[in-house]
Amino acid sequence: MSAIRETAGETLERAASGGVRSAGFVDRALGLLSSVRFGVVLLMFLVLACMAGMLVMQINMEGFDKYFAELTPSQRLLYSALGLFDIYHTWYFNALLLVLSLNIVLSSIDTFPRAWGLVARRKLDASAQWLRGQEQSAVITLEGETAEEVAGRVSAACRSVGLRPRVSEKDGRTFVFAERGAWNRLGAYAVHVALLVIFAGGFLTAQLGHTGQMLLTPGGSASEMTETTFGEGGVPSELKVALPFEVECTDIRQQLLDKDGPISPMNTLNWSTAVRIKDAERGETEALVRLNAPYDYRGYRFFQSSFVSEGKARQITLSVEPEEGGEAQELIVMRDGSAALADGTTLQFIHFFPDFAMQGARVGTASEEYRNPAAAVRVVKPSGETALGYAFGERAAAAGPLAGRAVGGYKLRLVDFEKVGASHILSVQKDPGAGVVYVGFVLLTVTLLGVFFFSHQRVWALVEGRGGREFEITFGGNTNRSRLAFEQRFARVVRAAGGVGASGVKQS
Amino acid sequence: MSSTLKHTAVSVPEIDWKPSGLAAYLPFALAVGGSVVLSLVRLRAGGENFMTDGALMMLGLACYLLAAVFHLTDLYAPLRLFQRLGLWGATAGVFFNAASFGVRWVTAYERELALLTRQGGEMPWAFRYVPFANLYDLSLAFALGAGLTTLLIANKQNFRFLGALSLPLAALILVLARFIGDEIVNLPPVLDSYWRPIHVGTASIAYGVALVCFAVAVVYLLKDGVKTESMAIATSIFSLAVLGTVSRFSVFAPATFGTYGASTMSGRSSLPLRADVPYVGWMLVLSGLLLAAVVVLFVKYLSSENEAARRWGRRLLKLSLVAQAGVVAVLVSQVKSMGEVVSRIDSGQYARFGAWLLEQRGMDASQVAALGQLRLERAASEFLQTNGAGLSVSLRSNPVELSALITAAAGTLFVVIFSFRTERLRESLPSLEKIDELMYKTAGITFAGLALLLITGAVWANESWGRYWGWDPKEVGALVAWLTYGAFLHVRISRGWTGRPAAYFALVAFLLIVFTYLGVSYLLPGLHSYA
Repeated sequence: MSAIRETAGETLERAASGGVRSAGFVDRALGLLSSVRFGVVLLMFLVLACMAGMLVMQINMEGFDKYFAELTPSQRLLYSALGLFDIYHTWYFNALLLVLSLNIVLSSIDTFPRAWGLVARRKLDASAQWLRGQEQSAVITLEGETAEEVAGRVSAACRSVGLRPRVSEKDGRTFVFAERGAWNRLGAYAVHVALLVIFAGGFLTAQLGHTGQMLLTPGGSASEMTETTFGEGGVPSELKVALPFEVECTDIRQQLLDKDGPISPMNTLNWSTAVRIKDAERGETEALVRLNAPYDYRGYRFFQSSFVSEGKARQITLSVEPEEGGEAQELIVMRDGSAALADGTTLQFIHFFPDFAMQGARVGTASEEYRNPAAAVRVVKPSGETALGYAFGERAAAAGPLAGRAVGGYKLRLVDFEKVGASHILSVQKDPGAGVVYVGFVLLTVTLLGVFFFSHQRVWALVEGRGGREFEITFGGNTNRSRLAFEQRFARVVRAAGGVGASGVKQS
Repeated sequence: MSSTLKHTAVSVPEIDWKPSGLAAYLPFALAVGGSVVLSLVRLRAGGENFMTDGALMMLGLACYLLAAVFHLTDLYAPLRLFQRLGLWGATAGVFFNAASFGVRWVTAYERELALLTRQGGEMPWAFRYVPFANLYDLSLAFALGAGLTTLLIANKQNFRFLGALSLPLAALILVLARFIGDEIVNLPPVLDSYWRPIHVGTASIAYGVALVCFAVAVVYLLKDGVKTESMAIATSIFSLAVLGTVSRFSVFAPATFGTYGASTMSGRSSLPLRADVPYVGWMLVLSGLLLAAVVVLFVKYLSSENEAARRWGRRLLKLSLVAQAGVVAVLVSQVKSMGEVVSRIDSGQYARFGAWLLEQRGMDASQVAALGQLRLERAASEFLQTNGAGLSVSLRSNPVELSALITAAAGTLFVVIFSFRTERLRESLPSLEKIDELMYKTAGITFAGLALLLITGAVWANESWGRYWGWDPKEVGALVAWLTYGAFLHVRISRGWTGRPAAYFALVAFLLIVFTYLGVSYLLPGLHSYA
């Protein structure tokens, strides 16, 4: 043998033994990864990481800048180094989720065959000794013609308490096997599948999802949304994301609890934005977005997020009285709209002042609250002649020289108005993962209820002749959960087999 | 025809031959049905003279405590009468608790009805007024969930005694509610969704079952032979943690050693400014020393079987109970009788309070930070000069702290009770397997309930905020508790970890639920800040 060959042989041998060693390592690693205990440890790590994320304020939360400013420099350094300010997006948190997913998959693969065996291959027979060793067991003696006839009665007893019986014979002995809810053995695996579906949906959301904000003012429109991300120390940066359509705001409304109160969240029942979506592909679509009632369009979802509470009026009610005398009429005019009087004169609602004030010769509003409401109105005569003036509410005197002045031959008074803010801010969400997550939610709900409110209950009965008409029946049974309920069901089977109305099985 | 010839039943354990039919659910049905009827009567014929929801809640609290006493007595001196009184006391408690919830619903409805009809507005749907708006409401529902679960489990005669543990816990939650105060607040519009009753209803049931699961886990450990000395160490450490954290860590901090301050109130809102409550600080220090000594002595006993340490530990445990009860009594009486509070406010808090004050007035955080210590202190003292007379302290100043002190004392009380004739108590409990089975069942239902809580919360968040998961502290809190129950379920099937370790998981998981329920609202910021 040449030196080269020898060396090669040694290398091969070493490689082989090394291979064995590495296979051992891989096996051990796989064994660890697929063990339930390791899963529990992972869960605890996940719990700890989440607790850290709860206790340390996260970067995307309101007030983070203040929180960050109050930390000591060493705290900042430590927390930043550990990624605690944004722990849910750190590599180690994601790695933890990934390993946990692997653990779920591998441990399920490990234990599934046994569970499947319990469902697919029913154990029809059992020795008397084995039956006596079960969680529940009982022995009674019955009188009957044949073993089959007695087994039939036991079957009927099983059926009467909701167990599906099956009679079989082996080595001259007769067995009754009855069960319910065998599928329950697979429930835990279905729960894990549901969890993995939710994880997958979450992954899709994290990779492909976008959420932004869109400010809409009546008459205005938007074709992009603003996504906010947070940098070092919670400094926000804004990113404009273009939308494949344009959203035009046609109307906004504020449904107040107390109509005399302010436009504040606590005085609001709901608020809504009417939009017209202009899409080059699909044409125009009208839609209404209310709080807690989002609107879906082409994979985008529009939500009410907040509102700008500057005091405005959606519509005003004017009392219009001819200057030279005559009956006053009431007229409702929408924001930026107009309404006509009987004589063909139209009134246009130009502007609203919540707190009308004169600043020198200029008119304006002193605040954004409804302290002294007034509306600028343009009167257009049928002849085409126009005049601009103001309609005041009850506190007209505060308006100074403008109060009570007639506009285009009419005395105007602001009788009423519908309060509304200046603009609404919508959240726009595009989330291809949400649907997957919802499927996971449905699966999880169904499977959890299936697991915890049902159980796989099994009862065996061995029928043995004792000579003549006497038969000894050995019952045994077990369940995977709901032991207390099973105990009662087992007792009912034994009692029912002993004959309905029998005085009962003596307890020992 | 056949007949049974002879019976040779082998190990058919403790079968209850009595029909366990609907009759066993009678207390549950009576409590629920009765409260619905009472709420309807309130709606139809109610008015100012009708019992308020607050009064009904107090009746519920009293019944829970009374029932717990009967159940406890029954454990030590088994008597059918005690058991019955305990069961019917619990039934009455649940009835009052549920009626309080129903009457509160009607009251909230009528509160807005007047305003809306006067202005010609449409009446919103009735579910807007389900009392699930703040922590008071949730506490009422949490206690109700626990009470209902206790009644449902009471259909198994073996487990009626559980009320001895679960009802005092429910009562503690109602005590907390009492301190929070029962004002009905306007609902933030984002909460006016049909998901709210679904989500919060799920929460109260899941939390209620979790509370019972916690009680079962304690019973399991007791039955399993965990020494009461170990339990005393656990409760003493819990008490020490409470004493150490109340009043912003002032009791044991070197600068403020031996002081306890109650938050001052301006009207109904509590200010971040504490007024020193006389005597309480030193009593807390005394309790702390006693509890620390208990821990040391019992650790010594457990490590070296030192009987003298055990004897002294037991004595000091009882003394620490007296001291803790004394703290609560003195705190309550001092807070109630304290008149002028400004002179009791330590000026060391001025700077922090000044900063808070200026921020409340709309100043930017960075502007405030730029101001000097002196400017902040001046802002605080100016505020106190003008508004000092209007400040006060009350039992509502620090609801969670007060309830935590009571809970700590209650924990010690239970260990003292358990150390009395422990062996006899153990014997009167059902078998370990049965307790384990019930622990598994309640933990499983809690796990499923928390999953539903997370799911309904996620769906609601996706309808209202545009994301189904945002790592908000309350969301994470519920997730953490859920994961821990998940761990419990897996520990139970892990070789070598079954039994006691599983019970510890059930205990920790419930503590995490309580943390989610209170800690997140009181300690951590976030979207769920209202409840």
